[in-house]
Amino acid sequence: MRRGWRIAAEELRLLARTRVAWLGLLALIILSAVAAATSAAHVAREQAVRAEQQAAADRAFEAQPDRHPHRVVHYGAYVHRPVSPLAAFEPGIDPFTGTTLFLEGHRQNSATFGAMRESSGLIRFGQLTPAFVLQALAPLLLIFLGFSVVARERETGVLRQLRVHGARPAEVLLGKSLALGAVAAVALAPALAALAIAASSAPGEATAGALIAAAFLVYLAIWVLMVVAISAMAGSSRGALLCLIALWAVVVVLTPRAASALAARAEPAPPRVETELRITRDARTIGDSHNPDDPFFAAFRARTLAEYGVSRIEDLPVNYRGLVSAEGEALTSRLFADYARRTADQQRAQSRWLQAGAIVSPALAVRQAAMAGAATDLENHVRFLEQAEAHRFDLVQRLNRLHAEDVRPEDDAARSRDPEAEQRTRVAAENWARMPDFSFTPATPEARVEAMIPGLGVLALWLAAAVGLLVLASRRLLGEPR
Amino acid sequence: MRAILRELWFLGRSRAALGAIMLLAVLACVAVAFGLAETARDRAAIAQVLALQAEEDVIVAARTSDAGGSAYGAYFPTWDSPSPLAFAALGQRDLSPSVLRVRALALEAQLYENEQANPELALAGRFDLAFVAVYLAPLVLIVLLHDLWSGEREAGRLAALRAIPRSMSRIFVSRAGVRAALVAVALLAPLGVGALLEGAALGKTLMFAAALIGVVVFWTLTILAVARLGSRSTVNAAALASLWFVLTLVGPAAANLVVTAAGPVTEGPRLARENRDAVHGAWDLPRQPTLDRFVALYPEWADTAPMTEPFHWKWYFAFQHLGDVAVADLSQAYRQGIERRERLARVAGWLMPPVGLQQMMHRLAETDVTAQLAYQDRIRAYHTQIRAFYYPYLFRDQAFGPEDFARAPRYQADGARP
Repeated sequence: MRRGWRIAAEELRLLARTRVAWLGLLALIILSAVAAATSAAHVAREQAVRAEQQAAADRAFEAQPDRHPHRVVHYGAYVHRPVSPLAAFEPGIDPFTGTTLFLEGHRQNSATFGAMRESSGLIRFGQLTPAFVLQALAPLLLIFLGFSVVARERETGVLRQLRVHGARPAEVLLGKSLALGAVAAVALAPALAALAIAASSAPGEATAGALIAAAFLVYLAIWVLMVVAISAMAGSSRGALLCLIALWAVVVVLTPRAASALAARAEPAPPRVETELRITRDARTIGDSHNPDDPFFAAFRARTLAEYGVSRIEDLPVNYRGLVSAEGEALTSRLFADYARRTADQQRAQSRWLQAGAIVSPALAVRQAAMAGAATDLENHVRFLEQAEAHRFDLVQRLNRLHAEDVRPEDDAARSRDPEAEQRTRVAAENWARMPDFSFTPATPEARVEAMIPGLGVLALWLAAAVGLLVLASRRLLGEPR
Repeated sequence: MRAILRELWFLGRSRAALGAIMLLAVLACVAVAFGLAETARDRAAIAQVLALQAEEDVIVAARTSDAGGSAYGAYFPTWDSPSPLAFAALGQRDLSPSVLRVRALALEAQLYENEQANPELALAGRFDLAFVAVYLAPLVLIVLLHDLWSGEREAGRLAALRAIPRSMSRIFVSRAGVRAALVAVALLAPLGVGALLEGAALGKTLMFAAALIGVVVFWTLTILAVARLGSRSTVNAAALASLWFVLTLVGPAAANLVVTAAGPVTEGPRLARENRDAVHGAWDLPRQPTLDRFVALYPEWADTAPMTEPFHWKWYFAFQHLGDVAVADLSQAYRQGIERRERLARVAGWLMPPVGLQQMMHRLAETDVTAQLAYQDRIRAYHTQIRAFYYPYLFRDQAFGPEDFARAPRYQADGARP
């Protein structure tokens, strides 16, 4: 093992004398720093903007004058998905979803106003974030600095000399791996510092942050081992370089896109409008409030009359219109939840294709782990949509209750013709401030750590495979003539 | 000719070179097949929505008893069919809707709906011919051409080859030419097949082909320059891969940062909120002044009867439209912000030719941001037609029945396409 350290030290001394090595490392560190700084600034700005928009939306809701509760059902509420603190390191899906959701009665809107439709097409080339630098650029640097670590020694005959002096192949490969690993550690440092800063900016992020750091450590370790193994197994330095660049292109560039295309093909999602039309149709089949003889609403009427012990709607102590609105809302809400679950399930099935792609590409695995840890994955967005829908239903039903209890049916029936009746249907403004505000509860740190397990598991498999490859390379070196 | 045949024969004996070209050809074919499947699915999805909407319309029509109720309840579909070249550059079509329904209500609340797409798929990126050309073809060219001179030197043949008269043109140019041409063919052949199947216009297809050739030519010349100046094959390959990385990954991402910072687009949520507040505020205002403000903008309805009751559909649709008018400036600013970013991105395209060529492909395929904004323009124009259709019934209190509903204007997808 002592010899392994010596070989590592020797390799590092050589690298330190290579101008290109310094240049590459410097470029990576500068890019990391730029990515970290701009990404942190961007996330801070987004956090401020969204909080500000949320506050403005809440203010507007509470500032409403006396209104008919059903007006307020349609006035609705805006909710904004907050940015998670670790998004500064890995923004994940944040730019590719709408961040503003309009909640109103009888309708389920899509989240709008996301970066992807407010940016130029450039956004599709990728984003300069610390995670991107580590995922894509750092492996390339390791390839450039390491493709010849063993191949060169063979070409110059040094390898044979080492063997003659008693160095075992495993020691040589280990030494070279240690040297390249040291480079990887330096390359990791700025991005991990950015991660540490992001994680320390909010409580409870430390565990997820540490696991994300561990995921990237393993990811770069995989690359270090593969670079050294392939350098040892290739016939020449040039062969090793071309082979490694091809591997990098497949892992980092090709596989994520191919997996995404396969997912879209295997699980074709219907357009949103189709879902909307199907919900309308299903709702009509269950209960059609436009139809006076509809059995669903007839049964509801009978049930309501029995509940209050009266025989006519006019004798009810509450406003029947408000009750019907609440019943209709409950009906459509069940359908919204049902279809939203189907959509989410299908999207999860699509994302499983990406998880399968991780078996071919550790870059996908590390990204999945990072997104799950940073709460910037699909699951976090689905969670936002679910919580927003729950808030929508609760808000609308509170307003329907006001409609049933505080608006007299005679006034309600006359409000379109009689200005005074219209005034009387208005409920006092102080009610609006009593409505609950929306606040998004992100997944707990424990849940996020659990969600990282598949990605981390695949990375562990890759690490094992890379070690296996190194062992194989060392066996082959052993078989070479001295 | 003999030189070309000789180079083809050499190529046939180099497993790595042949493999790289074959791999590229396979990936280009797969990309086109995916693209064709995606656009076919897109069209089928639009047809499916239109069929469902037609069934819905039958029920809506049967219930039609007044213009106001119809204008409030009826949804009118619009759609943005993929262009004949969309298969080759899928662009933004995954996240922005290909079908959007509008009602005669305030449009600003309806125009910015998103598609319910899986963002993780969008994050990974699209797999289409434009991707294969801009990302993968350069890597194949680097493999094929980085050692054009250094490879011969390292094999000890360079001096001998140099001694041949006109060696430059007879050996190196024809070698580079044959290899670059094969890469171009690997990209162009699938494009041609796809364009034929989709019935794309010849002019646009040729321009798309020119963009693909542009990528091959740009990279071939760049690689040859480095290969000529460079010394060792490995140094050339590493330098070229770095250059590719900068021009295709880091450069565009950095440009996106600059473009985003240079022109913030923050109007969206405020636009939606102010539109809503303007629309709903009308319920808390005296009726007649609202109607008067609408009539001032549209004097053709000046002779409409004054408001005598708290509710009339004409007043309702007047304030809906006034809600859009109230945020017209904000809406304009929002859109101009996006257009400004797109313009700045084109500047980045001039600085980084691979980016510019991909932008050209998306423009030709009508899958870029500009095409999305053009679709929004078509929706706006159609929404105006729908309003204009209902206004006479509303402002003149004309009877409205199912036969009138059947006369509502239909969206003309192709008529409106420039």
